[in-house]
Amino acid sequence: MSSVDLRDFISAYLGETEDQLRVVNAKLLEIDAAVRRGEPHPRAVRDLFRSVHTIKGLSAMVDVDAVVAISHRMETILRAADRQGGHLAAGAVDVLLEAARAIEHRVRELAENKPASTPPAALLEALDVLEVRAGSAGKSASSGLALPVELSDKLQPFELEILARGVDDGRRAVRVDFCPSPARAERGFSINSVRERLSAIAEIVKTLPIAVPHTEMAPGGLSFALLVLTTVSDEEIATAAGVDLSEVSTLGAPVPVSESAPPGDLDDEPDVDVAMPQRRNIVRVSVARLDDAMEHVASLVVTRSRLSRAVSELAQSGVNTRALGEILRDNSRQLRDLRAAILSVRLVPVTEVLERIPLILRGARREGGRQVRLVLDAGTAELDKGVAERIFPALVHLVRNAVDHAIEPPDVRTRLGKPEEGTLVLRCVARSNRELELSVSDDGRGIDREAVARRLGHDIGPGEAALLDALCQPGVSTLERATTTSGRGMGMDIVRRVVVDQLGGELAMVTTRDVGTTFTLRVPLTLSIVDAFTLECRNERFVVPVSSVDEIFEIERERVRAGPASQAGRAAPAVVERRGEVMPLFDLAEILGLPGAEARARQALLVRRAGEPFAFGLERVVGQQEAVVRPLLDPLVQVRGVTGATDLGDGKPTLVLDLVSLGASAASGGLAA
Amino acid sequence: MTTTLAPSAPAGAVENDALALYVVFSANGGDYALAADTVLQMEAFEGVTAVPGAPPFVAGVVQIRGRVLPVVDLRVRFGGIPGERVLDNRVVVGQHGERIVGLLVDSAREVVKLRRSELKPPPSIVASPGYVRAVAQIGTRIVMLLDFAKVIGEEKLDGVV
Repeated sequence: MSSVDLRDFISAYLGETEDQLRVVNAKLLEIDAAVRRGEPHPRAVRDLFRSVHTIKGLSAMVDVDAVVAISHRMETILRAADRQGGHLAAGAVDVLLEAARAIEHRVRELAENKPASTPPAALLEALDVLEVRAGSAGKSASSGLALPVELSDKLQPFELEILARGVDDGRRAVRVDFCPSPARAERGFSINSVRERLSAIAEIVKTLPIAVPHTEMAPGGLSFALLVLTTVSDEEIATAAGVDLSEVSTLGAPVPVSESAPPGDLDDEPDVDVAMPQRRNIVRVSVARLDDAMEHVASLVVTRSRLSRAVSELAQSGVNTRALGEILRDNSRQLRDLRAAILSVRLVPVTEVLERIPLILRGARREGGRQVRLVLDAGTAELDKGVAERIFPALVHLVRNAVDHAIEPPDVRTRLGKPEEGTLVLRCVARSNRELELSVSDDGRGIDREAVARRLGHDIGPGEAALLDALCQPGVSTLERATTTSGRGMGMDIVRRVVVDQLGGELAMVTTRDVGTTFTLRVPLTLSIVDAFTLECRNERFVVPVSSVDEIFEIERERVRAGPASQAGRAAPAVVERRGEVMPLFDLAEILGLPGAEARARQALLVRRAGEPFAFGLERVVGQQEAVVRPLLDPLVQVRGVTGATDLGDGKPTLVLDLVSLGASAASGGLAA
Repeated sequence: MTTTLAPSAPAGAVENDALALYVVFSANGGDYALAADTVLQMEAFEGVTAVPGAPPFVAGVVQIRGRVLPVVDLRVRFGGIPGERVLDNRVVVGQHGERIVGLLVDSAREVVKLRRSELKPPPSIVASPGYVRAVAQIGTRIVMLLDFAKVIGEEKLDGVV
């Protein structure tokens, strides 16, 4: 096979492997939860085995030896665990998670056109140790007892233990149902005689009386379930108890460890998964291709705005453009439909974003020693892939903060009368077809306003919005001791930057001392195209989303008043009155620090931040059009007040301004340069 | 004008004195080079959109193939003042991890092959800010090999430098 062929395969390989890794992560978490409850999780172990097996097979096909080496070892451990009824030690889950991380890492390397690096020797060794332990553990682990709940609930732990150990020692655990009746008594079978006879051929572990409906067979409405350990056949048991064979059932049987595997064992499963990826009505498309398609639509949007400008010029010169106008309207509608179609292709389920959160939580939980239960309520909402990727780091910060800072250690919680285990709820609701609301709630200590104020060095104004503002100052933390997961303060500044500055969303918080805190993130479902005003300001053009502007008004000089300057040498702030409200009037060019001659601001844009009005003076609003917004991703150009750039048809980027955050920083003393 | 560069030497080359490709350009009176596998493309410079609030050495943003990139003015980065824009100006677009950043240079010169043994440690006088990783002599010229990550600043999203 030449290397060219391999390249063709690799993208399919990457896609399929990513899918399988997602399953691996999810199943490992399920198993982790089960192990912590002390239960086996045979189904998850089997599913996990299948995914790992598929990954191994795919990796072998494309010669990714590093992944084969890891997945082969995982597979061996899981096969042994499956034969032992799904038992995995807690330590094993950690190593397996680490192994999954290592595979992910290598898959990412391949995606970046790099060769997959050799797996770390320490990991392979840890896997090998588990492998050996798993192989020899066949007898010591308690075998899977298939006990119905109505029975297991009535058994003492030591009785379960006796049954399990009996099975491990090579006997079968059997349930015999005996229903006393006059007919049976006539034949000499009473519960006492049955017990006597059974004890000769089996060890009776427990006799449980069970209420049953009154029938001919059970005139007393009572039956007995005898749980026994035996080496004899079901027939012998049935004869001894004077019951039908159907009343004897096996609860657990020893697992052949060295003999050939029983039917249904994992190794018998055909390798269909590997050879033929499942046929689904789904096409895997790289984001780059979608971006490409979107790019073409974007250029259509730009061309359209040029076209309509040309038509209106024609109309002004006296040409009849009625027919052209109709075509333009149709064209505009088709363009909108096309755009919506492509945008919908980019949507991914929110669950895809949230499914990695349990992993993050698990890591944080291990380091912090806190007990946290995660409740995910994601629903069926979908959001743009680009938004999903950006929102994820913000969610990670919020989750880590909750675990590290908010949820108290178990002893403190007990003292406060709270359950030892904290609860973290992640909820996601689509507010409309444009907006999504994500919330992260904990039942922890709440945010200590005084502590934040001390850290900040000054008082915090009233209200939760002011407290949130204070928290979002870089480096503010309410926990003195740093932890590895969130050592650098609370990172709320990052959360706000992502939600507000990058995504153009909103961030809100509700907090109550000793009750808990809820952060609410409102983000647009898609980025891409917005209705926007084009502004002119000292010969520079800017764009602002129409949705952020309350009103555009002409500045009447007699309604503008200068206020006192806060500092010597600073321009005096101006206030303007509009419809009975007095608000600050900022000069946009000045706030942006634009070079060039000062020009008198003639128009103003009114925006509100948490209800509070601001006005921005500028030369003029040029027009309104659809703008394709591209976020500014690089840290060099991530500045407050600029959310992205757009192309107005000249092939050059025009900055998209966030007037709300510009207003906030202007009010607090200008842009930090 | 767009120049797409040929891929660099095979990744498997491990001999000690491997040949590698470098893109050579001049800025602020010096000749500099970037490893060719860092460079995605070179573009003619047709102006930038200034970004208020960005560091002074950031000339602004440009749009290249649908992507909006910051452009670092190498003159300013290396302590000079912004030069007059001329037809020779080029934007050398490089990639570091996920970041793609353009460097505004006075002119792009050529692509050269250098052996590892031809790269010498930089004299301390140019080594201190960490922009220069090595120097090499090509004919009579001294070419300074840039550390692209340092030049564009390794600022992370969370502000840790």
